[in-house]
Parts: sequence; C-alpha cells; structure tokens
Amino acid sequence: MSREEILTRLTEAVIEGDDSLVVELTQKAVDAGVEPLVIINDALTKGIRIVGEYFGSGQYFLPDLLLGAKAMDAGVKLLEPLLVGTSREFHGRVLMGTVQGDLHEIGKNIVGMMLKTSGFEVVDLGVDVPAGKFIEKIKELKPNVIGISALLTTTIGRQKEIIEVLTEEGLRDQVKVMIGGAPINQAWADKIGADGYAEDAITAVEICKKLVAAS
Amino acid sequence: MRFEFLSEAEVKQVHQATLAILNQIGIHTTSPRLKKLLVNNGCKEQGDRIVFPPEVVEKALSTAPKTFKVYGRDDSHMLEFGKNKAYAQTCVGTPSIMDLDSGEKRDVTLKDLEDYVKLADALEYIHVISPIFPRDVPQEIIVSAETVAMLRNTTKPLRICAESSHEMKYIVDILAAVAGGKEALRQKPLAYIEVSPLSPLEYGFDPAEALIDIVEAGLPLGVIPCPMMGSTGPMTLIGCVAQHNAEILAGVVASQLLKPGSPVIMSPRVTFMDMRSGVGLWAMPEMGTAAAASIEMARYYGIPSTATGYSGAAKSADAQSGYEHLYNALMPALIGTDVLAAAGSLDNVLTSCFAMLVMDNELSSVVQRTIQGVEVTTERLAVDVIAEVIESHGNFLAHKHTRKYLRAGELWDPPLGDRQTFEKWALKGEKIEKKAREKAKELLSNHQVEPLSAGVDAELELILKRAREEAEIF
Repeated sequence: MSREEILTRLTEAVIEGDDSLVVELTQKAVDAGVEPLVIINDALTKGIRIVGEYFGSGQYFLPDLLLGAKAMDAGVKLLEPLLVGTSREFHGRVLMGTVQGDLHEIGKNIVGMMLKTSGFEVVDLGVDVPAGKFIEKIKELKPNVIGISALLTTTIGRQKEIIEVLTEEGLRDQVKVMIGGAPINQAWADKIGADGYAEDAITAVEICKKLVAAS
Repeated sequence: MRFEFLSEAEVKQVHQATLAILNQIGIHTTSPRLKKLLVNNGCKEQGDRIVFPPEVVEKALSTAPKTFKVYGRDDSHMLEFGKNKAYAQTCVGTPSIMDLDSGEKRDVTLKDLEDYVKLADALEYIHVISPIFPRDVPQEIIVSAETVAMLRNTTKPLRICAESSHEMKYIVDILAAVAGGKEALRQKPLAYIEVSPLSPLEYGFDPAEALIDIVEAGLPLGVIPCPMMGSTGPMTLIGCVAQHNAEILAGVVASQLLKPGSPVIMSPRVTFMDMRSGVGLWAMPEMGTAAAASIEMARYYGIPSTATGYSGAAKSADAQSGYEHLYNALMPALIGTDVLAAAGSLDNVLTSCFAMLVMDNELSSVVQRTIQGVEVTTERLAVDVIAEVIESHGNFLAHKHTRKYLRAGELWDPPLGDRQTFEKWALKGEKIEKKAREKAKELLSNHQVEPLSAGVDAELELILKRAREEAEIF
C-alpha cells in the first residue's frame, strides 16, 4: 500500500468507527514512515470531521459519532508517544464534570464527545465532583470553558455554588461557564450567572465555540 | 387483564437473563449499609461489585408481599396495590409548568405546587399525588417542603421520590405527624417512597441509603431506575428490559433481606433517546411497549408495580400529547399494573400542565373503564332480550334491559370530551385543550380541600423549621 492509500483507508476506518482497523492502519502508516502529525491531521482528524459532517446532515447518529471518536482516539493513543516535541492544535480546552451528589453522566459524556470531535481538548472530571475539585483543576489546567452537569432536582443548586466559589476565588473572569442537564433551562442559567446553556449536545458545541471565540 | 406482550416462555427467558445479570455482573454501590446488608445475607463481593446468587433472588421474590395498601388522609382514597387498578399519579419533579393564564412555560413555584396538588385533589380519576419541583424553595429541604405542601392540599395518598437520603428523617416525621405517630403511619402508610438507582446497575449512595431508611421506617418502597435504550442500557428493547429488571430486583432483594415481607413496588421506566440530539425521550411507542414487557415481569413475580403511562414528547396539551399519553398508559394497564405515573406531564416529563392534567383525568377514566373488562353472564349476553325485541318488532330502546344496564353504567361518560352534534359544537367551536384549561380554572376556584387540623399544621411547620435550622438556612 502506498502512503496515500494507507491514509485514505485510515480515514475511512475512522468514518466506519472501526477502532481495531484504525490501530492496524495507524501502525502501518508509522512503519511506512509517515510523520505522526500528518497521520493525525490528514487521516484521523479528517475522518472525524467527515463523521461530524455526516452527523450534521442527519446521515449519522450519536452511536456513529461516538464510535468514530473512539476509533480516532485509538489511533491518537498509538501516536502520542511519538509526538514528543510537537503539539496538536485545539480550538480550546474544556473541563467537564457532574456536580457533587449526582452520578448522572450520559449527557455530559455526549457533549464531551461532540466537543472532542469538533476539535476541542476535553478533560472530564467524572461524576460527583465537589466545587473544590473544579476550582483546583481550573487553577491547574486553565481551561477556556468549564461544563457543569446536573440532572437531579436536588443537585442543580450545586451549579450555582460552583459559580459562587469561582467568584470568591477571583477566577470567574478567567473561565467561561456552561451548564447542562435535563431540568436546566435558560432562566436558571441567567439566574446563576452562567455564560452558556444548551438544551442539546449539538447546540452545546455551537455555544462553546462562540464562548471560546469571545474569550 | 389477561393480555400478554411476551409469551410465557419469553417471560422465563427474560427472568433467566435477569438472574444471569445479577449473578455474573451484579451491582456497584458506595453505600456501606447496603453493601453490608447484601454481603451478610448471601450476596457476594466480586471485585468492586456485589453479585446475587439465584437462590438469594428467588427467596426474596417469595417473601415480597403480593398486596398491601396505601392510604390518603381520607380513607376513601385508599390504594390497593397488587390489584392492578391502574391508578393515575401526577408527574414528579418537573421544573417547569405551563402557566394557566398565559399558556407560557415558566419555572414552577411553591404556589404552583399547591395549586397543582389542589387540582389533582379535585379530579376524580387522579388517584395518587406526587410533587412538581418548586424553584423558590431551598434545595436542602426541598422534599420535606414538597411533602408538607402536598399534605396541606390533598387528602389523597402521596408518592414521594427520595433523591437524597439526608431528608428521610424529616419526611418520615412529617408523614407520622399527619398519620398520628410512627406506628399509625406503619399501619396506614400515607405515602410510598421511591428511590432511583442509576442505570446501568449502580446503587449510588443517596438512593441506597434512602432505600434502607424507607424499609426501616416500615413504609412501602418503590424501586425506579430509568435506563435509556442505547445509552444507559442496551439498544434492544428486551435487553434494556432485562437489565432494568435486574437493577429493580436488586432493590427488591435488598428490601426483603432487610425485612422479609416488607412492601415493595417494581417501577420500571425504560426510556429512550433521540439519537440525533441526545434528548431523553419518554415518548411512544417504545415507552409503552417496554413498560408492557417490564410489567409482565412484575406480574410473573406477583410483585406490585407502577409504570409511566401519561407521558410523551409533546410540548403542549394537544392531539400529540393525547395520543402519546393514551398509548403509553394503556399498554401497561392492559398487562396489569397498579399505578400509571406522570399525569399532567409534557415534554418528556420535564413540564407540568394544568390543562394536561385535566386531559389525563379523562384518559385515566377511560383506562379505568377498559381494565374493568366485561362480565360475561347469561343476563348480560341477553339472548332472551334479543328474542323478545325481534318478536315484538320493537327496538332495544324500549326494553327494560337497556334501561337497567344503562343505569348500571354500561356506557362510558367522558368527563371532558365533546360528543355534541356538529352544529351545537360549532356555536363555541372549542378544542379540548381550551375546555381543559377552563375546567382547571373552575376547579381551582371552587374546590375545597379538607384542611389539616391546626395542631398538626403547626407541627409540620416546626418540622420544616428544624429541617431548615439543621441545614443552616435562616
């Protein structure tokens, strides 16, 4: 296989969401002497961009998107050790987590995956994340945006708490805050002073892009 | 009813899959109390999970009671669980409501909760009251405040959802104050309390701890996880039903290990997702068909059950909400369930609507009528009557048999729907949603709820005060 052929087939494997084929072809590309960053940009990222386009046009659904992202990740993981000294370009860094007392994460995970496939670097703190942990990680990672998720009617108050602590710590103007979760609406976002809210994952990406562009 | 969605052989297959899930995969919990309870009573630790040997499950299934009762402040509203009466329950926890005057969606307030409960109290075919979610009440005491608001505005039985364990003591105190003490509450529970573990198979700290508190307080427990097909459960309806059955049975088993014979309710809620937007759907037909399958499992075990009947994706009280709610309610009702939840809800159970509650009262009435079935007797088969009418060259209108059974209620009388001639209807030309809104307004201004005694009311205020103080809200 020529280098071009390997990269074309690798792109297709990402579009198909076939992670084992992606690993195999990524290794082939490395063995053929293709630069790791070229593999990422001309095959893996290209593939996921097409997945995103298919999703946008309604041809693909969430499982296609998640499998595509998983396949891309498998390739990137293989290349990471070879990337020393070079760095990938991201739209921005997003820190996400579900609030303390809440273990619901499927919505957060979907938004996180959509952001990844749209070119953001996503750091996921998981579930049951106390305000203090958000603050600590914001100081450490300096994200452009944080995404705070809550599903339970008894835990959405934690979103307000985190914003208050951010203000107390003098960090509020250094990071944009997005909130989400089934019981959340724009009125709540306005009330607690969040910068962004979206009612679905697609809109979340759009808003995140706007917030990063404005920051 | 005697309808079946799964065949007997299929029910057994789902049961075997359920036992395999519990025995091989088991649950995870962060509650030390639940873990200790399970492990000390025959379940096994396997890595960080707890697995359930089939004999432990089967034994628990045999001690769970087949019937029990839940009471309202007024005894005439008593619920008989295990009799498949398909009582209608108002939707829990909606953060939004459609304003009755403007028709616009907005945040729920405590006043809305009071009005909504009062309306439900007035509606004949709404039998169980659950709280919508007021946004102007401190989070730390939310369920306690909701419970007090409900008790003040209805004499019907309550269904409470315990999303956190820290309020359990206040909730029990509140209910006991109204019942006349903790023993009286155990004898005649004024509520059943449900906990919602996470799918797949995760008993988080709060629901797990609350589960134990509820059983210890002697109140009927409901187990209500909500998996979504293809995201927090398998994509296949039957796979999701099996996983869901296992996560519910884990809670049933826990209740029986803690107190054999304690009342427990299986509350399956297999939901699904819009695979384009990720929005959670409580729409049809998947919700209704999955409920039918899950309820058939509960029927197989002989354990009382609830299903979400009155739900859909429609955003206003209209034709879509009407057909969605009727489909999702009728499917599990035909299999045989005790409670159909989410009455009055819109937008995948995120919004409540006064007009929709009035429409669901209508649907509940027809569901009640349907599950009554028919009595097949010689007199009702009316062969003699047919002969007499034919012989006399008359018609059935003038036969006493007709009058007798008309009076006995052979025809359903819609509480809301229109059946006038076209011309009479056209004088006002009203759509059902408008009629429903008018009826809601009328009931809200005229309906009187039997108040709590001054002494009990003051006691509830004291409990709320204590809850506020202990949560450091002043």
